[in-house]
Amino acid sequence: MKRFNIFNSTELWQRQTSLPSIPTFSRSLDNVFGNEGIQLGSITEVLGLPGSGKTQLCLQLCASIQIPKVLGGLNAEALFIDTNTNFTVSRFIEILNASLTKCQMLLDTPIDIGKDSSLEKLHYVKTIGLEKFCAFLYRLPKFMEEHPNVKLIIIDSITFPFKEGISAKQRTGLLFRQMADLQRLTIDKQIAVVLTNEMSTRIGLSTGSVVGALGDAWSHRCNKRVLLSTDTSPSNRLALLLKSNDSPNTVGRFQVTQEGIRDIE
Amino acid sequence: MQALEVLKISSLSETVLKSLSQNRISTLFDFLDEEITKLSAITKLDISQVLAIRNEIFAKFSAPLANGSSLLVKSIIHKNKLNTGIQSLDTILDGGFPTGYITEICGLADSGKTQLCLQISINCVKQSDSNVLYVDTKGDFSAIRIQKMLDAYGCSPKEMALIMFKIKVVHIWTMEELIDFFKHLKKETIAVEKLSMIIIDSLPCLMFQHLGDDSKIGLTFLNTFVNYARYLCKELNVGVICVNIQTRWVDMDAADLDDEADTTDREHLYIEKKSRCLGKYWSHIPALVIKLDKVHDSNSSDTEQCSKVDVMVVKSNSLTNFNLKCILNICDLGVT
Repeated sequence: MKRFNIFNSTELWQRQTSLPSIPTFSRSLDNVFGNEGIQLGSITEVLGLPGSGKTQLCLQLCASIQIPKVLGGLNAEALFIDTNTNFTVSRFIEILNASLTKCQMLLDTPIDIGKDSSLEKLHYVKTIGLEKFCAFLYRLPKFMEEHPNVKLIIIDSITFPFKEGISAKQRTGLLFRQMADLQRLTIDKQIAVVLTNEMSTRIGLSTGSVVGALGDAWSHRCNKRVLLSTDTSPSNRLALLLKSNDSPNTVGRFQVTQEGIRDIE
Repeated sequence: MQALEVLKISSLSETVLKSLSQNRISTLFDFLDEEITKLSAITKLDISQVLAIRNEIFAKFSAPLANGSSLLVKSIIHKNKLNTGIQSLDTILDGGFPTGYITEICGLADSGKTQLCLQISINCVKQSDSNVLYVDTKGDFSAIRIQKMLDAYGCSPKEMALIMFKIKVVHIWTMEELIDFFKHLKKETIAVEKLSMIIIDSLPCLMFQHLGDDSKIGLTFLNTFVNYARYLCKELNVGVICVNIQTRWVDMDAADLDDEADTTDREHLYIEKKSRCLGKYWSHIPALVIKLDKVHDSNSSDTEQCSKVDVMVVKSNSLTNFNLKCILNICDLGVT
């Protein structure tokens, strides 16, 4: 017989507040995602047109997860599931080094952050095509058992594997099954999942014809949806919270710099 | 199906039951399904006795008869409305959500469905010493949000803890699990004391997992779920609230295109329709359907962190006036 755990909400509150969030290195953006960044135990969807900074944000998060515990970080590892080969390791090293240097500056006594060992803390999977993607997600619980210190899973992007070879109905069914399994992991193991999604066009909608891809049913699925867009200046970005289970819809401003995601001064 | 033993009829002695089970007749259904002469031969009872047992089964297990006055007494004894604690909503619902029935809350993404559910569960346990069971299917239950709402309301930490203790949460990820869970509730192998409401947020999240499946197994699950939910509604006298979602469909108006394409604004050529999910079968199930619609107000959206939601009663089995509307505010304080 399967056991059902009935929690009361005080227990859940203790669990949800016991671990720190993953900061984005931009206070304004942290406020959009939650109080101090991306909360563990939730699925966040990042939307945006090409060049709006989705992948940059993902890389920054992979670096942020390594912030040492003395600075209130998680000192954990990240898993990057790359479906559209957007990942570049040189860019990641740039952001990672900048983030770790910033942490060093905040500490009086230098801590031992080996550059090689910090690179070891990123697990990277390239999945080309729907079959490989599904197969990896199927094996994900096993991967999590073997790597208990992974606290962040990035899927960049969720749309790409579903581009062809599957009907809309089957796609929604499969996506919801995968998300249910993923959500079970996030709650049980208290990890954060960040998905990126592309924009698509639906002509005739009253709220504007450019909407997130994968349809209306999908738009309910993630706990939080954030839309990224460019601002007047080329490096500046806007983030708009489209849906959230715990905070009002706000707008944040940040910029993508050489060092990664930063506040606009 | 129930075993023959539950009958407790004197003619069905242990030896008779044994010989019946040797012939693979162990449940009530097996017994009714078998020919009378054969049964008589197996049990060594005469035919009239076998017929008597059959009648006993029918009398005991067929749907019971009731008359109007006894139904009235029943409905007066039981409290039949669950106060939502939100005044404007209570007014259009004529006192609150009905107990003993399934209620549906539907709306588009970000229309405030989860927020309303959280607020209702807070209000419901605040007014009484009853418990609320929150079935969370997409990890949307945020205890942090509940705590913030209570904090903004001015509750002391002790009051908060008391209220939050009475909101029970269970995480369910598949339709099979949901049905299994309800089965346990029915058999009372899992019991929540003083239960007044079960909130399922959200049902499509489970049902969509079976989309694109040729076997239509999803419908079977939905039907089984509805049966259990209805049983629990009546038996425990609780309200069951299901969250449903809406999707938008865009149609091109072909007639307009031919006749007056020049005069009409291009915007009017497209007709946006919103439809409730979960299909035709489900659309008849809930006794009360309320629809949430976010008001897109361009004037006041940025200045205050408050959003307005239009609430409308779409379907009801007891209200004489539908299409009643009210407007709720969602802000830090919660839903008012």
